[in-house]
Amino acid sequence: MPLSPSPPEVLDPGHGQAMSCDGPRLRWSPNGGTLVLSGRWTTLTLAGLGAAPPRPDSRGRHGRETAGPAAGAEADANAPLESPLPRPRNVPPRVPPTGASTITLDGRGLMALDTAGALQLHRLTEAMALQGLAVQLNGFAAPHLSLLTLVRERLAAAAESLAAIPPPSRPPVLERVGRGSWDWLLQSLGLLSFVGETALAFLRVLAHPGRLRWRQMLQVVELDGWRALPVLGMLSFLVGVVIAYQSGVQLRLYGGNLYVVDLVTLTVLRELGPLMTAIVVAGRSGSAYAAQIGTMMVTDEIDALRSIGVSPLDLLVLPKALGLILALPLLTVFANLAAVVGGMVMSALMLDLVPATFIRRIPEAVTLNTLMTGLAKAPVFAAAIALVGCYQGFLVRDGADSVGRHTTTSVVQAIVWVIVIDAAFSVVYSKLGI
Amino acid sequence: MRGIRTCFGATCVHEDLDLDVHPGEILALVGASGCGKSVLLREMILLAHPTAGRVLLFGEEAQDLDESGANRLRQRIGITFQHGALFNSLTVAENIAVPLKEQTRLPARQIRDIAMLKLLLVGLPPDAASKYPSQLSGGMHKRAALARALAMDPDLLVLDEPGTGLDPVGAGALDDLILGLQGALGLTVVMSTHDLDSLWRVAHRVAFLGRRRILATGTPAELSAREEPELMAFFQGPRGAARSRAWNHG
Repeated sequence: MPLSPSPPEVLDPGHGQAMSCDGPRLRWSPNGGTLVLSGRWTTLTLAGLGAAPPRPDSRGRHGRETAGPAAGAEADANAPLESPLPRPRNVPPRVPPTGASTITLDGRGLMALDTAGALQLHRLTEAMALQGLAVQLNGFAAPHLSLLTLVRERLAAAAESLAAIPPPSRPPVLERVGRGSWDWLLQSLGLLSFVGETALAFLRVLAHPGRLRWRQMLQVVELDGWRALPVLGMLSFLVGVVIAYQSGVQLRLYGGNLYVVDLVTLTVLRELGPLMTAIVVAGRSGSAYAAQIGTMMVTDEIDALRSIGVSPLDLLVLPKALGLILALPLLTVFANLAAVVGGMVMSALMLDLVPATFIRRIPEAVTLNTLMTGLAKAPVFAAAIALVGCYQGFLVRDGADSVGRHTTTSVVQAIVWVIVIDAAFSVVYSKLGI
Repeated sequence: MRGIRTCFGATCVHEDLDLDVHPGEILALVGASGCGKSVLLREMILLAHPTAGRVLLFGEEAQDLDESGANRLRQRIGITFQHGALFNSLTVAENIAVPLKEQTRLPARQIRDIAMLKLLLVGLPPDAASKYPSQLSGGMHKRAALARALAMDPDLLVLDEPGTGLDPVGAGALDDLILGLQGALGLTVVMSTHDLDSLWRVAHRVAFLGRRRILATGTPAELSAREEPELMAFFQGPRGAARSRAWNHG
């Protein structure tokens, strides 16, 4: 692609305009046996990007065609190859009008050639050679010729290994199922050993409490506890409203308005309060842990920490897990409160249950035990969320894509674990008769 | 580039800087770390805007361009970034095909064909096509980035520290590659570099960035004979002197 001589700081002026009406062209010379190339054979013109709207007189029979893709369709028998967009498949191998066995490619009219154009020409000659036609190059400018040679040499040199590359294939279903299960199993085992390692790290910290990163831990309490209050409060309030409304609709039928207090407080304190809180925190903080650690994996910061002699478990995982274990029960208390207030407001509006009555009824509906059975789940949820989030972060390999994938997985898995643990608690509680 | 001035808050890295790039040459941009080489390159390729001054690109005033005009110019520029910036989630072949897919309406088959050719042009083995960037060595990474920069057959190739992080042999091979491609494709190349070897070997002209402007331009031999303290330090320092001697005496 020669650059025309031009004043400094001006590169090839007017190229942008010129290319729009000089698409790659190819036609037989009137006497046959010679293919005349003209126009610009470059990536942009080959793509028809610079195509100008067809001029009214441009569909004549002898090479006044435009660069538009449509022009080729108009070509007639005398100019069988006036296609402006030669493509490897549809262009070349038509028998020349004279039946000659040697084709001359005339490159005198070639205005520009880049590697994409050269590749196109190369494919053209290849296809003609396949038809048993000898191809002769004629009148090409020296830079064009050397570019063609370069392309030809490179392709020829790699021909063998190119042919050796197996076509991409999709493994059979059974193989994919197997690999999927195996990966899943490995990941589960990995999570298990990660939990074990973290527990060991925790024991080490218990032996030397001075080594706990208090600052990081309190930061977690602030970021993932304190700052979650507004959204958690609003959600819990609304959940309380919904429970009160739904149960109120039913209870009103039986005149059991007062029992709305039992329903709201019991479901909230035992189940929904801890569960809602855990789910909000899993979405809010578990994902953040995965993304943070994942990005640090990508940028080698984790390895940098290790090389300095700081265990990522001590610096990143333990403070997060412990901070969250501290914060989640507190958040749960707050969520319980907000939900009960929500229920109270709704009861007052819908069931004419004044707040004073509502509050007086609470001690009869629930006991301290009810609250504690709910709160007892919170630290376990917290540990699950923090560990799953961190573990997914450590699984990140090479790149932004992987960070995104593992962040998503961390949230999904954390929520799944929270619900599974909640179910396990229910089973245990029912066995214990609580 | 005329009267370029670039400021970040109160610190200015360029002040009244002029730089010309001639068509068909290899211009090396050198200077101390942090003197704004990369920023200057980014301004040249319309990724950043100078605080003041004009950038004239292919004869067009960069400031007057709207986004589509800028994109039209960008099609004629190929860039490699300091850290490669290959898309990690795509294979090498897909990486090279990205500009072609986004900027042209070529059929997919042809795009694959072109991408494979670019891969071969930069001297990568064909089986590298289906590898992911994380599976490549540093040198192959640089080559793949170069192949992506060449995807659209640009007129102007901008290389930000092409040789960094390569062993001398790999860096030398990359220099050869740049020289060879420049010769074969008639490219204009602007590269920033720290590498004295590639400076002497590859560059037709060197622009020395210092004291917030272009202190001097000329062939490596010319610059190494200049007497400004910065240039002396660069070319006649312990590392520079050995190189200068080696290249001046054969």
